[in-house]
Amino acid sequence: MVDSKQQWKAWLYLAPAIVLLLIFTVWPIINTVRISFLEGYNAMSAVNGAHFKFGFGNFKKVVEYRGFATCLKNTMLLCVLTVPISTFLALLIAVCLNSIKPLNRLLQTIYFLPYVTNSIAIGMVFAAMFKIVGFSVEGIEQSTSLGIVNNILAVFGAGPVNWMNQGSSYGANIAVMTIYIVWNALPFKILILLGGLQSVNKQYYDAAKVDGTSKVRVFFRITVPLLSPMIAYVVITGFIGGFKEYTSIIGLFGENMGPVGSGADKPLNTMVGFIYDSIELHQGRAGAAALILFGIILVVTLLNLYVSKKRVHY
Amino acid sequence: MKKIKRLVFIVVFALLAFGLIGCAGTNGGNSANFTVPEGGYDGSEVTIKFYHTMSAQNLQPVLETYIKEFNKIYPNIHVNHEAVGGYDDVRDQVSKEITVGGQPNIAYCYPDHVALYNLAGAVVQLDSLIDSTESDGANGQLGLTAEQKADFIQGYYNEGLQFGDGHMYTMPFSKSTEVLYYNKTFFEANNIKVPTHWFAASEDDDTSLEYVMKKIKTLDPTSFPLGYDSEANWFITMCEQLGSPYTSATGEHFLFNNDTNKGFVKTFREWHQAGLVTTQSIYGSYTSGLFVETGVNDDGTPKQRSYMSIGSSAGATHQRPKAVDDVYPFEVGIAPIPQMDASKPKVISQGPSVCIFGKSNSQEVIASWLFVKFLTTSVEFQAEFSMVSGYVPVIKSVNSNEVYAAFLAKADGGANIASLSAKVCLEQEAAYYTSPAFNGSSEARSQVGALLQKVMVSKEADVDAMINKAFADAVEECKYKAE
Amino acid sequence: MANETMMEKDMQKVTAKQRVIRIISLVLVYAFLILMALIVLFPFYWMLNSSLKSLEEYRWSIPSLFPHKLRFVNYVTAFKAESLSVSLGQLFVNTAYVGIVSTILSLVVTVLSAFAFARLEFKGKNILFAGLLATMMIPGELFTITNYTTVYRFGWTNTFIVLIVPFLVSVFYIYLLRQNFLQIPNELYLAAKVDGTSDIKYLWKVMIPLSLPTLISITILKMMGAWNSYIWPRLVANDGAHSLITNGLRNAFTDTAGDIDYPVQMAAVALVSLPLFLVFIFLRKYIMKGVSRSGIKG
Repeated sequence: MVDSKQQWKAWLYLAPAIVLLLIFTVWPIINTVRISFLEGYNAMSAVNGAHFKFGFGNFKKVVEYRGFATCLKNTMLLCVLTVPISTFLALLIAVCLNSIKPLNRLLQTIYFLPYVTNSIAIGMVFAAMFKIVGFSVEGIEQSTSLGIVNNILAVFGAGPVNWMNQGSSYGANIAVMTIYIVWNALPFKILILLGGLQSVNKQYYDAAKVDGTSKVRVFFRITVPLLSPMIAYVVITGFIGGFKEYTSIIGLFGENMGPVGSGADKPLNTMVGFIYDSIELHQGRAGAAALILFGIILVVTLLNLYVSKKRVHY
Repeated sequence: MKKIKRLVFIVVFALLAFGLIGCAGTNGGNSANFTVPEGGYDGSEVTIKFYHTMSAQNLQPVLETYIKEFNKIYPNIHVNHEAVGGYDDVRDQVSKEITVGGQPNIAYCYPDHVALYNLAGAVVQLDSLIDSTESDGANGQLGLTAEQKADFIQGYYNEGLQFGDGHMYTMPFSKSTEVLYYNKTFFEANNIKVPTHWFAASEDDDTSLEYVMKKIKTLDPTSFPLGYDSEANWFITMCEQLGSPYTSATGEHFLFNNDTNKGFVKTFREWHQAGLVTTQSIYGSYTSGLFVETGVNDDGTPKQRSYMSIGSSAGATHQRPKAVDDVYPFEVGIAPIPQMDASKPKVISQGPSVCIFGKSNSQEVIASWLFVKFLTTSVEFQAEFSMVSGYVPVIKSVNSNEVYAAFLAKADGGANIASLSAKVCLEQEAAYYTSPAFNGSSEARSQVGALLQKVMVSKEADVDAMINKAFADAVEECKYKAE
Repeated sequence: MANETMMEKDMQKVTAKQRVIRIISLVLVYAFLILMALIVLFPFYWMLNSSLKSLEEYRWSIPSLFPHKLRFVNYVTAFKAESLSVSLGQLFVNTAYVGIVSTILSLVVTVLSAFAFARLEFKGKNILFAGLLATMMIPGELFTITNYTTVYRFGWTNTFIVLIVPFLVSVFYIYLLRQNFLQIPNELYLAAKVDGTSDIKYLWKVMIPLSLPTLISITILKMMGAWNSYIWPRLVANDGAHSLITNGLRNAFTDTAGDIDYPVQMAAVALVSLPLFLVFIFLRKYIMKGVSRSGIKG
């Protein structure tokens, strides 16, 4: 298969991408690796001509951080929770959307709307939904507002749940984060999967229809396998994105990365949260943390690729 | 599997190869020690760049007006100015520009930003400029005259000296502080005195905040008598008023883990748990929202509200209730925050300063200084800028400015609440303090805020153990972030 | 005869039962879609809701689900945008220019690369692809300082180049399109080779039409990127002439105490998003048309 004409043609097609990636992606990565081995590196002192010792000091410092285990745990947990849920929901929505005729256009338009919604608005909505305002120590009864979700729960006679105020449980916090991240990720995934569905040949469905195969069977036996390249894509990029989760936590819980009253603990901090914290004054440490994160993502992605190689049908 | 092995090999190889390249620090000129060239400003044509955060609708026109005034004296100094988002955006922008030598000439700054820039030696020490007797190119001296120096409000001016090395790095630009907003109508109706100090010396110490809060709580049990915006300010101000250590710019940085501080934190916890006080983050929304609440519940009881609010003097208009048919439902009173020692009052100084960056062309530095000097010592600019921004001027002589005096004279607790706020600020000019600035000072600030917050809301049974741990954790976090 | 009628009756029964199941499942599908649509729609509604409030109402402790008094004047304020150093129109033109040019160039680069990865065989293909994927795994924020140094050395600051070129290549999109290309059977390509069709012609005539939905998705994402990018443009092109929309609006509606007038800001965001939204509506058609032409796969 590998003939020489294809060889140079391939490199020719790839040339623009490779050149740009070398300059704007690979070079910065090299630089990140470099500074991660320079103990106590920071760009300001470097400008001033400071010299830094070569060694593993930054890595040591990262691992020694009192919140390191928390960061790692949250990073993992959020990935493991959000990727399957958002992928499954998106798949379901895409398939349903693809199967209906009336209202199809309207619904599709609605599912696109998050793209033109400012991120500030999304954060505000969540506060309105989950936050209890006027929380007082005597109990939730003193509150001014329970938040929309608790109001809905009240209709069913449940709650109120302390989602994200002081004293809220880690589980409740993670639940809010999960809902937020899934919500945020849905439109992108729906878009990709809906696009992918269009490339799936309708003949298969026609054949299934003639056979009288049940819808659930069609979904698992035809749709999922045929869509598997796109599903693999959504899962892998979902994991990579999930590992980088950070801004959403700040958006919901503030710079303390936890409910009010967490003190110095930052109970919802993640690896990238740590990187952000360090990037102003300790770029070396940030670089080291990024490499550690890179190692983790790499292992997970290789696992993903390994699985998808067995399961994805092109 | 073979592929994975190869990939791992490549990654490891890359790590080692690039790790070994090691460091090649570029040598930027250390411009901290600026020497004024002989002759001072020589009238040369220079363009200077000024980063600020004046995104508000009406501030930039004021600045532009005074750039024109400045150009009447110095036609060859061209000022480009730019609003760069918020304070943190300015820091991020400038710190990246410093790495390539592309920093502006002047920037709005907070002290911890300057500590960061100082790692690169990028900020000019102002001492030699302030003291210079060389020519300013306009028949005067480059430095500040004795009168000009004395005209600055001391607490503001001293902020530039907070870096632990005795040198001056920043000039105050416009400032604000914390003030106590209170519901004057309610206070007068119930014969409540405006509190002047925090803790009640006796049961009937009716000018203590403690007494006032308890009295309000009996009058309106569902209320939070006091809403405090910023936990961090509260903690730091208490340290300052009690003379208890907080931080130091030199040596051991984080000194706030001590018994005095644990004491007041514990008291504030008791206040909070008794429903006497809340803060913005604990309440979950702006405390000004509590303060301006005037509604009633369906059963006729007043909606949850506060009757006192401690917040920035620059935010006075947010502390005013919504007017109904041009009448404000209650009158707002503004007073200095409570103190520990009435003879040594302390209030925090907030708001922007400016710093000047080193440049290879010393005339650019001198021109930048001239512009900074012009803005900070110009009575007209300081007056006009203050009236528009809600901040207060940094020089005393503004009080004698006719327009500004008229602005202050019309102060009231309704339509002219901004005047009232400015007036209360200016009456406290002797009380302003600033905290030491170093790399890690902003971390200390956010940690003590989080600490106070934690102690106030914690439900743990062993309060002292919880407080001890919270303090220890906060110091540990600070040290990790600073080192 | 009797047998046949029996069977017919059976068939009718089955179809009746099937019809009931179909109706029920259809109702469920619609209920599900509409519920999810409402959830997804909520932030958008909140943006509009906030954009019509007064700042005072916006700051209420209990957020109101509907503005007490609709303040359309926020839109007027936003449209006039007196505080902007650059006019809203200029911001819009800049953003559209950067968005369109970078989308087109990005599509070209992405299509070529994805084609190479999906259809051509060359040494080191798998390693190279894995390497590309690996670059996605480092948080991009770490690139900023180095990239800033690079473009500064190139003398690209305050140009449109600096807003377009550095992020032209996205591994995310290459990967996405490669997945899509891989779905198109190789036989077609080999047949085209036998016919002597050039790669480019094949790409243009077969691959691109077949992957149009994905290409449109990429277009949408890329355009959105230009609309939302903030940190990089702020850093490298802050001279007004090259300002993009988000930079321009970010702190534009701040009151003097430094509090952002969120309602007006929301109104401004809604205003500038409108053209984008219309483009999406227009492009959506093509996503759904997709590959309904003929049986390609298999």
